[in-house]
Amino acid sequence: MKINHYLIGFAVSSLFRRGTKSLFVLFIFTALIFLLSSILFISNSIKEELNLTLDSLPQIIVQKLQAGRQTNIELKRVNKLLEFQGVQSAVPRIWGYYYFEKAGVNFSLVGIDAYDKQYKNSFANIVKNVNFDALEKTSSMVVGQGVKKALSENYYKNYFNFIKPDGDFIKVPIASTFSSKTSLESNDIILMPRSLVLEIFGMDKTKATDIVLSVANPEEIPTIAKKIKNLYPDTRVITKSDLKVSYQNIFDYKSGMFLALFVISAFTFFMIIYDKASGLSSEEKKEIGILKALGWKIDDILQEKFYEAFIISFVAFISAIILSLFFVYTLEAPILKEIFIGYSRLKPSFDLPFILDVQTIFLLFFLTIPLYLAAIIIPSWRVASMDADEVMR
Amino acid sequence: MFLTPETIAILILDCIFIVFAFFAFVISINIVKKWDLNSTSSLQYSLEKKAILAATIIKYIFVLKLPLFMFFVFTADKISGVITGAMCAAGVVNSVEFGLWLFVFKIINLFVFGFWIALHVKDMQDEKLSLTKLKFSIFLVAFLLLIIEIAYEISFFASLDVDKIVSCCGTLFSVASASSFSVIFMIPNNIIITIFYATFFLYLVSFFLKSELFFFFSNLVFFIVSIISLILFFCTYIYELPTHHCPFCFLQKEYHYVGYLLYVTLFIGTFSGISGSILSLLKPHHSKSYYKVSLFFNTLYTAIITAYPVVFYIKNGVWL
Repeated sequence: MKINHYLIGFAVSSLFRRGTKSLFVLFIFTALIFLLSSILFISNSIKEELNLTLDSLPQIIVQKLQAGRQTNIELKRVNKLLEFQGVQSAVPRIWGYYYFEKAGVNFSLVGIDAYDKQYKNSFANIVKNVNFDALEKTSSMVVGQGVKKALSENYYKNYFNFIKPDGDFIKVPIASTFSSKTSLESNDIILMPRSLVLEIFGMDKTKATDIVLSVANPEEIPTIAKKIKNLYPDTRVITKSDLKVSYQNIFDYKSGMFLALFVISAFTFFMIIYDKASGLSSEEKKEIGILKALGWKIDDILQEKFYEAFIISFVAFISAIILSLFFVYTLEAPILKEIFIGYSRLKPSFDLPFILDVQTIFLLFFLTIPLYLAAIIIPSWRVASMDADEVMR
Repeated sequence: MFLTPETIAILILDCIFIVFAFFAFVISINIVKKWDLNSTSSLQYSLEKKAILAATIIKYIFVLKLPLFMFFVFTADKISGVITGAMCAAGVVNSVEFGLWLFVFKIINLFVFGFWIALHVKDMQDEKLSLTKLKFSIFLVAFLLLIIEIAYEISFFASLDVDKIVSCCGTLFSVASASSFSVIFMIPNNIIITIFYATFFLYLVSFFLKSELFFFFSNLVFFIVSIISLILFFCTYIYELPTHHCPFCFLQKEYHYVGYLLYVTLFIGTFSGISGSILSLLKPHHSKSYYKVSLFFNTLYTAIITAYPVVFYIKNGVWL
């Protein structure tokens, strides 16, 4: 099929001649694509950020369940778990959430021990950078950016008073703050010596929150997980791939939910375009009549209408994508971001990492432009097949 | 139901296709029944107008189906990350019983719709519109094929089960598997190479003889033999792994998406050969340019696919 430059020129000038009408359609279409692409960009970025976190997560997590709820696990079990062939290390973790009422937020308290093998790379770095011996001696803590902010807003500049279960206070000085590479994971974290966490939560010294294992050969993870389950039927064994799959499912589900809503608005859009393209002014009818009298065939008029539609949808597509790139990555997606990170009260003000893959662009393309073209097929044909004498009369 | 953004996009487009194809189908029935170019009735006049609408709809569907096919493969690749055991699209497609059929229908439909467009272009050049009745009778069949494909596709996404463990491509495409592929794995390597190059030679002969019927069959055979030899022999050199026979994995990033290049060249080469020779048989004055297009792309395909074992041999000094 040859591309007719004169026809394209005609289409462009025809769009300008009907300025307000084309502008209206262009505006609606751009808004629609903008909304959709922003949601997809945000969801992709958060997914990427979580995947980064996921890489540093332990290979196997063992939790103890009692009456269907997670409870603390006995430290004795660590040695039993180490006896499994292929298990490289087993580290008991002590952590939990501390609710800070004044700010209405949850802090994640994590107990660390400098002599244990660190299960998380980012924590290992902190331990290296911060003088950990001093932390242990002075019983102080390292806090994330978000925690620091929440505390200083409530006038806790240098220390914080934790309330123990029995009502006593523990005064813990802030040694330093840290900003991790991925702020989503570290924003609400407080690192402190293990003994301090045990005291704040009033936990039994012979127990831990859960146990994390690292396995030398990743292929053996499912087998080891099965063996642990057999040895301790009261445990829940979570592997890294379980987490990965559920993350992907959650995000596909969230953007899927949004898309389900999008289908409705897309249908509305379809109706608007159909209606706009069908209702012709007498001016336009006259124009078609003149063109036909000049010898244009139905195919020529159809082709010109397609060029018009293509120009509109292409301009809308490009400008919507540029707009939403600006909105998501420069403005940090002010309102829409909340849809995806609504669960935490300590709203982590993290940066969305820049991700732009071809697949998302293709997805956006298939969700929008075919819809527009489909909406104009029948109206344009109806216009193009009108009889010259009839419309000119 | 397996609802990700990608599957929703595909399903929305499927719905649009069904609705519009149905319009075209109704118009086609009327045309096949009542078309008479010599008549001056208003019925014939409106049929001529409607023929243009139907043709526009079919063009619209085909133009979208081409990239959508690749998008489907891409989506299946992405889903493989979620389904246990699957490592590429092959595992996902085979996790459902009729997955292979869905694929076969997708390829057949690409050929049929592509041929329809070629026929349509030919028809529009002819002032007597002598092919109109034929092309709309062909669409009646194409519509049924399209409906079957979409029905397969919808039930495919509906029956994808995340918790079911599927086989990965390494076991699907091997002698040991019980799948429908396993029979062809009995053929030894040297025979399949001989057959492949013999077919290509036959194809070259048919090109120089310029006989339409011969050219048609040689293209058809070349397409089938190419796919089989690709699975059996050539892809092991793409992976540089003698046991890996998957026709999907080389669509992934690790192999620089070379699969898209291979499949597209093979498709263009054989498609232009097949559709061109059918058109020539129908209309003796058809332009012969399709011979050159077909020759160029099929030779390009053969050159790329031959380069893999040759480069491997030069680098390593042994055959796999």
